[in-house]
Amino acid sequence: MKLVRTIRCLASLSALCLLLAQPRALGASRPPDGRDLYKQQCAKCHGKNGEGVKKEYKEPLVGDWPLEKLSRYIHKSMPDDKPKTLSPEQSEAVARYIYDAFYSREARLKKNPPRVELVRLTNRQLLNTVADLLKQFTGADAPVGPERGLRASFRSGGRRGGGERNATDRVDRTVDFDFLREDAQPSVGTTNGLNVNWSGSVVAEETGEYEFILKTPNGARLWVNGDEPPLIDAGVASGTVDEHKATLRLLGGRAYPLRLEWFKAPKDTLASVALLWKPPHGTRVIVPARNLSPTRVQPTFVVATPFPADDSSVGYERGVSVSKSWDDAATQAAIEVANFIVARLDEFTGSKKDGPDRAAKVQAFCGKFVEAAFRRPLSDEQKRTYIAAHFKGKAAPKPEDAVKRVVLLALKSPRFLYLGLDNARPDEFEVASRLSFDLWDSLPDRELVKAAAQGALRSREQVVAQAKRMLADPRARAKVRAFFHHWLQVNHAEDLSKDAKLFPGFTPEIISDLRTSLNLFLDDVFWSGSSDYRRLLLEDDLFVNGRLAQFYGISTNTPDDFVKISLDPKQRAGVVTHPYLLAAFSYQKFSSPIHRGVFLTRNIVGRALRPPPEAVAFKNEEFDPKLSMREKIAALTRSEACQNCHAVINPLGFSLEYYDAVGRFRTRENGRPIDATGDYVTDDGNKVQFHGARDIAEFAAASEQAQSAFVEQLFHQVVKQPMFAYGSDTASRLHRSFAASGFNMQQLLVEIAVTSALHDLDKASKPKKT
Amino acid sequence: MNAIHRREFLKRVGLSAASLPFIVGLPSLGLAAPARPRQRLVFMFSPNGTIPSNYWPDEEGKDFQFKEILSPLEAFKDHTLVLHGLSNKVRGDGDNHMRGMSCLLTGIELFPGNIQGGSHTPAGWASGISIDQELKNFFQGRTETRTRFGSLEFGIGVTDRADPWTRMSYAGPNKPVAPVSDPYQMYQKLYGQLKDKENLQSILDDVRDDLKKVRKLISAEDRRLLDEHEALVKQMEKEIADSSRQKLRVEPPALEEGVADQNDNLPRLSRMQIDLLVNSFVNDMARVATLQFTKSVGGARMNWLDIKDGHHGLSHEPDKNEDAVAKLTKINKWFCGELAYLVGKLSKTPEPGASGSMLDHTLIVWTNELGKGNSHTLDNIPFVLVGGGLGFQMGRSLKFDKIAHNRLHLALAHAVGHRVETFGKKELCDGGPLKLG
Repeated sequence: MKLVRTIRCLASLSALCLLLAQPRALGASRPPDGRDLYKQQCAKCHGKNGEGVKKEYKEPLVGDWPLEKLSRYIHKSMPDDKPKTLSPEQSEAVARYIYDAFYSREARLKKNPPRVELVRLTNRQLLNTVADLLKQFTGADAPVGPERGLRASFRSGGRRGGGERNATDRVDRTVDFDFLREDAQPSVGTTNGLNVNWSGSVVAEETGEYEFILKTPNGARLWVNGDEPPLIDAGVASGTVDEHKATLRLLGGRAYPLRLEWFKAPKDTLASVALLWKPPHGTRVIVPARNLSPTRVQPTFVVATPFPADDSSVGYERGVSVSKSWDDAATQAAIEVANFIVARLDEFTGSKKDGPDRAAKVQAFCGKFVEAAFRRPLSDEQKRTYIAAHFKGKAAPKPEDAVKRVVLLALKSPRFLYLGLDNARPDEFEVASRLSFDLWDSLPDRELVKAAAQGALRSREQVVAQAKRMLADPRARAKVRAFFHHWLQVNHAEDLSKDAKLFPGFTPEIISDLRTSLNLFLDDVFWSGSSDYRRLLLEDDLFVNGRLAQFYGISTNTPDDFVKISLDPKQRAGVVTHPYLLAAFSYQKFSSPIHRGVFLTRNIVGRALRPPPEAVAFKNEEFDPKLSMREKIAALTRSEACQNCHAVINPLGFSLEYYDAVGRFRTRENGRPIDATGDYVTDDGNKVQFHGARDIAEFAAASEQAQSAFVEQLFHQVVKQPMFAYGSDTASRLHRSFAASGFNMQQLLVEIAVTSALHDLDKASKPKKT
Repeated sequence: MNAIHRREFLKRVGLSAASLPFIVGLPSLGLAAPARPRQRLVFMFSPNGTIPSNYWPDEEGKDFQFKEILSPLEAFKDHTLVLHGLSNKVRGDGDNHMRGMSCLLTGIELFPGNIQGGSHTPAGWASGISIDQELKNFFQGRTETRTRFGSLEFGIGVTDRADPWTRMSYAGPNKPVAPVSDPYQMYQKLYGQLKDKENLQSILDDVRDDLKKVRKLISAEDRRLLDEHEALVKQMEKEIADSSRQKLRVEPPALEEGVADQNDNLPRLSRMQIDLLVNSFVNDMARVATLQFTKSVGGARMNWLDIKDGHHGLSHEPDKNEDAVAKLTKINKWFCGELAYLVGKLSKTPEPGASGSMLDHTLIVWTNELGKGNSHTLDNIPFVLVGGGLGFQMGRSLKFDKIAHNRLHLALAHAVGHRVETFGKKELCDGGPLKLG
């Protein structure tokens, strides 16, 4: 695991300061021995195994230059003080030796092969798993259909609503009404009563705290994701208060039941109601139609206990460590679940309060609960330990107490908390578990468990078929969304606010709309039939609503809702020019070619960069104000030490200079025309001329390096284990199939999940110990 | 209970993200002997006015006789202070039941709103804090009087409806505090964590065994993680063992099981709630409590007294309906009996860490939203005070001439050291705190 970190942080471009000592007389006839040469000449400063030497050259000798370039560099530049001391043959021998021994990625993987580690559930996985575990007992949901909005029914009669129907039931896209207006449907006079009930579900896009806001001078109650009491009880209108707020945590990618009851008493002189929210990363808005559905769903249990953040030091969240605060949180969450179940014991177990078979039913529930939590059937011994033991005792324990202990034990058990306990001897249940955590970050559903029990999860075809089925589930969409946010570093883009004088109108609302716009774009491309990775980079369209259209000078007739607008392909190229990202990788007042360049280098073009050798802050006031941003950055990064990386970063960043700090297209900066050209040097030393964003997008879309980096990123986000632990040919195999599918990301996702699910399955045939 | 309410619950018991103490690290229950004598307050409410002739003593001063309704307090006459002549003078929106209830402890007007009572103008919630919450905040603001909950709001058959008829306690303007009518819910609030801890303790051994078994399944490299996990389980076992030395002064009461929240169970529910109340006081979980019997306009049918009529309906009967007067007297006497049960229990419980009984450190204020049911008057609101907690001179019957009840609230505040100039509506505080010492 450590290895992966090393790889990611290491520079492809690190200067190879091979300090060669004075060469000895070298025999001309014998082919030069690279190992000997290295030992004699290089090890003093670079270390015996290229690990580096303090006070000499402390960086390890690792990187991703090809052999030929390495030889050339050694010949030309080593040693520092006396270049070209070594003959080209000697240089090549040294290069070949270090390349095979420790420099190349392959060498490093061979020396220290990564493995599939035992991990605990990440926080995201634990929240999802608990939610889905309880859902298995509270009834399946009807899938939320394409229809948007809430079902509305109308009665006369105010508070109690016992009166006549006074309008036809219908679906309202949003809730934002003034029923006193003459054009309102229905329009009520000031002296009449009216009672309206809106119901359906609300779809949360991201995990986090949602503030619901009910704006009404009348009486109203709002229920979200639960039964009594209401989330907001504003049945009593009082004083000038016409706004009620309450916050609750929701898991992203799921639908939750919502019901709003609103009533105008006959004496009320006003009659309006609006349902707003402030979602995580968003601003206060009328809950949009795209987040509402007239389909009712079951509530979802959302753990309220806060968890400490997961380790993501290698670029993806993974559960490789445990801590006291994590153990405390996991325990508190288990108590939460136990208390929740006990409070609804009969609902969960199908028993009746005074039913004669209550204890038996509760015990049967416990068996199912523990099996689902452990993702596999229990042995007889396990049934005794985890279940039966808690129902016995001198005085028979109350079913409530027994179930509490069973739930606590199950959710504190390593069999629930860990993934990979059966990696040594994987069976069908392990395959089911891997598939579901890969694609959903949650436990297997009934269908997967059934397939495992029937032995129908062995062949590649069977596993592929399951993976394809699972893609249709909203949880797969949520997982893909999480991947994209990671890939595009959206999670780091919290504060996009800009200088208000320079960018008037770039409000929090615009920022929130931009995030929505990006999400819609990503969904649109990924979940289309072709699911073509290249379209992420090359599409010329942008999702805008009226507010965004106005700010970005796009003419559209749709004032409110988001629509897809095709723009000038010279100006826009997929995620490369999405204004959300352009603004995120900018300063408050200016564009930032460095931030943009680093993002493009690492995440779009797929090259590794090491952290800068020294921290240099950009201080605008230190530059001649007449200079362009490009000229300032060129001056700032002029030194040779900087150029090792900035020779790559800068040309990429400069190519986006057509976009200001809020991502608007511009052709001039301070009255001077923009220079967005750049000479990009590829890994193997070739120069490519870029002029503007589209050139980069087209280069990346066709670059095997960029495609492979995308494959690896997706693999790591999905499986949360190092890709190379799945075989040294996994990278090339996945890339080949990705290319063969026309770069279909959905198919790639299936391939990745199947690779992980079937890993080491042949070991399963060996005798099994329990 | 959905997500928000669980979160709210966690917050209230101090388990939110911000304050974080984990279940085994509960804040101390604060059982050390106090620097100055503890003071506690209970506000008990029963609805629909009283029968004045069977309630108010005829005499004034120390030498007085209880009438029928107050007769259950006979044994505690020396601890009792009867205050005749206090009026709820708050006017404005809302009918008299509504104002009687929501202005009773707040002493301030209701906001205009959408709740229609009779032919009065519709009203909303009270526009100010109630005296119980004011004093709770005062106690919670000082380390030496701070307790885990500060205040506890008990209900008996209140019903689920939330409106100005059902709420007398307010945390602030437009912030009604709902009483908990379900004793099991109250039990969970008070003692749930202790039970959780016991359950947790009982399974940790199994968890460790489990980790040991699982250890055999996995590779040597992976064992490090499980070893660390096992160390954490051991640590938790130790912490729980350490923390359980912090014993409660008294064990939680054993509640009768399966008593549903319904009319005919009111007598049992009342005793369960009172037992919990006294228990929470002994364990010093709060210094203020409210005990709300039904609600204003409450229509309990007291079948256990052989009264088939609803309480509110009866209270509208004219004075000449002798049967109704007799029944209402019986009903009010029953409430007084519940008060006497509470008083008796406190008097038999020694004050923890101090001399005297808990009654000596507690003051109970029994009140009502109306002076008289069939006139709906807000004059001469029943106020009977029992207990020595606030240092008032007890064992008296006092008569005032329709003075604003805000002045009693001021007297309560001053008696615990909270020297506010006014409480509730400023204009109703003229004359300052009632002198009851």
